[in-house]
Amino acid sequence: MSDAETLDGMSTVEVRTSATAALIPTIRAVASDLAARADFDLDAISDLRMAVDEACATLVDAAEPTSVLQCRFLVRPERIRVHAEVEAAKADTVLSTDTFGWRVLQTLADEVEVLHEAATEGRRATVGIRLDKSAGDVPR
Amino acid sequence: MTRADPEYGHLIPLLEEYASTDAGDPRRDALRAELVTGFLPVAQHIARRFSNRGEPLDDLVQVATVGLINAVDRFSPERGSDFFSFAVPTISGEVRRHFRDLGWSMRVPRRLKDLHVSINGVVSELSQSLGRAPKPTEIAERLGLPVSEVLEGLEASEAYRSSSLDEMLSSEQGSATVGELVGEADAEMNRVDFRQALRPVLAELAPRERTILLLRFFGNMTQTQIAQEVGISQMHVSRLLTQTLDRLRSRLDPETRVN
Repeated sequence: MSDAETLDGMSTVEVRTSATAALIPTIRAVASDLAARADFDLDAISDLRMAVDEACATLVDAAEPTSVLQCRFLVRPERIRVHAEVEAAKADTVLSTDTFGWRVLQTLADEVEVLHEAATEGRRATVGIRLDKSAGDVPR
Repeated sequence: MTRADPEYGHLIPLLEEYASTDAGDPRRDALRAELVTGFLPVAQHIARRFSNRGEPLDDLVQVATVGLINAVDRFSPERGSDFFSFAVPTISGEVRRHFRDLGWSMRVPRRLKDLHVSINGVVSELSQSLGRAPKPTEIAERLGLPVSEVLEGLEASEAYRSSSLDEMLSSEQGSATVGELVGEADAEMNRVDFRQALRPVLAELAPRERTILLLRFFGNMTQTQIAQEVGISQMHVSRLLTQTLDRLRSRLDPETRVN
């Protein structure tokens, strides 16, 4: 993620939790609150909420047990981008896109992408999901 | 507490007098009122100890006062115990019971419940006229309310999650149109590879949940369209979908998601 995306200084929200399923409701509550305040239509609010839920659940399953789940929300006019990431359980952990969960993500979000980053010195491999959701009126 | 206690000492003889008067005695009411008023600061003090738990202090003081009245009525000085050591647990118990009986996960202030009802009504109206789900600003405009209140009301509707979902459902299920759409959705599902894993799990779902899931994820319909098709509210579709996805997630082997 480029600095330009993270450091706009006004509309970025980052939530970091332990990578455990018990904390996903907290993250999805943040997602739906941000979407509601950005005046997304109710379908879009609910879709984003469920997409974040699904993405986080997928990542928690792939996470190293002591990992942090980092979820960054970039709120733009008419659009929210979500970038969620965990440390991978194994160096070669790969998220499958051949699942019902991925189908759910593709349907709920306008765009969705898997992100893998190989381990570097002092840093474990990470897996992530980036998704974009617009405020509404996009044929879904 | 002793008779020398500057604040409450003068009440001890009254407690004894109250306890020894018969039920029909005309002095009882006046004594009771004086005792309750006199000990009221104790009830208020206990209520304040519970005041940071999300309940209005006024309500807590009322509940604590009920506890105090019970304590005054039940106290027997001849047992030789101190009034406070009897009253404090009685009052605290009353306040604790109040919290327990609230049923936290489902409780929403009355104002927000009313707001939730108005929002729900306006959402279905606007969905009809706009042909899509409304935005919070549009709901606020129609209701003549500030957007902040609508946001609060929408948030409150999340608290309805734990209520029974079945009671509000339309009985008209499986109409020809829904049947057709499900058929269409099925065709697309045949092309995806995870169908082997998904099919048995789908079969376990209630017909309505399955229909909604298929319409959303294989029939390409929005929640608002599904709501109109199935005859329930968009918020309800949202709740059912969330619930069903949760269920599927726990049933489908997590190993299939990660290679």
